[in-house]
Amino acid sequence: MNPDHHSSLNPSSSLKSRFTKTFLRSLIKINKQRPFPYCPREIFQRCHRVKTAADKSLARAAGSRRVWSRAMLCKIRNRSLRRGCQQRPSVRRIIIGYQTTKKGYCLQKKMSDDQEVGTDQASKLRKLVPGGEAMDLCSLLDEAAHYIKCLNTQVQVMRRIADIHSS
Amino acid sequence: MELPTGPGHRSSPMRPQSEDTVFDSLQFGEDIQHLISVPPENASSFTALLELPPNQAVELLHSPDSTLRTRTVIETHHQKPYLQPQFNAANLAFPTNSGLIERAARLSVFAGENLNNISNNSLETSSGPSNSSANLEKVVKSEPAEAESDLNPSQPLVSDPTTVENGAQNQRPVKRKEREKKGKSSTKKSKSSGNDNSEDAEKLPYVHVRARRGQATDSHSLAERARREKINARMKLLQELVPGCNKISGTALVLDEIINHVQSLQRQVEFLSMRLAAVNPRIDFNLDSTLAAEGGSLMDSNFPSMVMPLTWPEVQVNGNRQNYQQQWHFDAVNQPVWGREEDSYNFITPENSLLSYDSSANSDHGRLEDKGLEIFDVMVKGNNGIQAEIEHYGCVVDLLRSAGRVEEGFEFYQKDAF
Repeated sequence: MNPDHHSSLNPSSSLKSRFTKTFLRSLIKINKQRPFPYCPREIFQRCHRVKTAADKSLARAAGSRRVWSRAMLCKIRNRSLRRGCQQRPSVRRIIIGYQTTKKGYCLQKKMSDDQEVGTDQASKLRKLVPGGEAMDLCSLLDEAAHYIKCLNTQVQVMRRIADIHSS
Repeated sequence: MELPTGPGHRSSPMRPQSEDTVFDSLQFGEDIQHLISVPPENASSFTALLELPPNQAVELLHSPDSTLRTRTVIETHHQKPYLQPQFNAANLAFPTNSGLIERAARLSVFAGENLNNISNNSLETSSGPSNSSANLEKVVKSEPAEAESDLNPSQPLVSDPTTVENGAQNQRPVKRKEREKKGKSSTKKSKSSGNDNSEDAEKLPYVHVRARRGQATDSHSLAERARREKINARMKLLQELVPGCNKISGTALVLDEIINHVQSLQRQVEFLSMRLAAVNPRIDFNLDSTLAAEGGSLMDSNFPSMVMPLTWPEVQVNGNRQNYQQQWHFDAVNQPVWGREEDSYNFITPENSLLSYDSSANSDHGRLEDKGLEIFDVMVKGNNGIQAEIEHYGCVVDLLRSAGRVEEGFEFYQKDAF
């Protein structure tokens, strides 16, 4: 995919530039594909699409080496699958089944360890970080740190774009 | 062996916690050099001496060897200049941190006692200097390995110098199935005593762990402690990332802060995407002007912003373009040609994209397709003249076609594309 291609060939391309490129392209696509939204419902739909595009491009820019980026891409794909073909419960069940087994196993293993740091906080963090359910606390913290870094970049870039276009 | 006397008689100068670390370490360094040359021959004798279970001893033997040798090569280059002269004599990969040196040196002397304990499988901390010398080589060897491995992992093992001052009798490396620690380990500075080299478990086969006084030393609590250390290290990282977290102490509160921060960031993303969705309809989203305006602030150098802003800010990108137009843009971006010609790549991307957007401009054609042609000319004949590919021609033809100048496009194609 584009961002990976760039980053492998051009090592100086940072997360920020990769994200910006992908995000801008997807924004253009959104603008082209959909008509001009007037009513609030359309605006809301479009907002949702923009958000999905932002998440997707962030996950792509972050690379597939991170658990959270892979989980986010999976989630987006599943969501589009689900929306696309409602009569494919088998796919959904397989995916959900995989995740629950992983989750169940890991949670059983780590339930005792959660006690020491505070169960609700850890579980809250798990819900926030994509893919956090199936991780032990140590890697959860690791992923959370990287996720926060990427979120910061995302917010910066989006704010900049919004400012440019609203001025 | 030639060693016993060396470390043996050096034990006295080691005992007072001298600030004369450099001098001590120099002497010590020479011994280390001997040691390093010694190991291969004495492999068998070590295991016998130690009376350790053979696999442990062999492990202890092998890992220090390999790590020592590899790191000897690597770390001779990393010596700090002010310590360079001293260590060149030893030609030794030895940590230049004086604290670590001191600690290692001290450990070498007293670790002998530790080994003695281990071999006797007793917990009494009898300092048996007579035995220590024999076991010393082994420990001394493992010490540099440990000390070196201290440098590599990003663990705060350097806090050890603080404990070093506490007295020689404090420091004890506890091997994997530790032991001892009852008598002499009165580590007042408990935090540094929590210096597990358990992080080294990831790098070395055995683990140096320093158990605190009165702490259980079985493998379960060791593993627990190792885990907790890892988690604390990560929490520190997170604290740095999240603003305002540095003053808070206590894991629960810090976690709360982190959770709040993540939630706020996610909410900001949602809000911004709402803003973008609402804002955009006003404009036809303008890739190039955006990039041009941001220049260095957003793009970290990948786009030649200097070329873009002057010529192309008013290009409109309207909807209703077929998808394949977009494909051309993406294909151009993916062209492997850029591997060979960096310059042309940098120009192909915006040029191609521009051309494709040119041809998609539906409204206000008066100026635009002329502008597009102009750009094409600039591209081909300009300073960094780019070889026009089929995609470029296609874009121009499309542009002209959509402007209604079909014949012109046809002529253009016939004329230039051959």
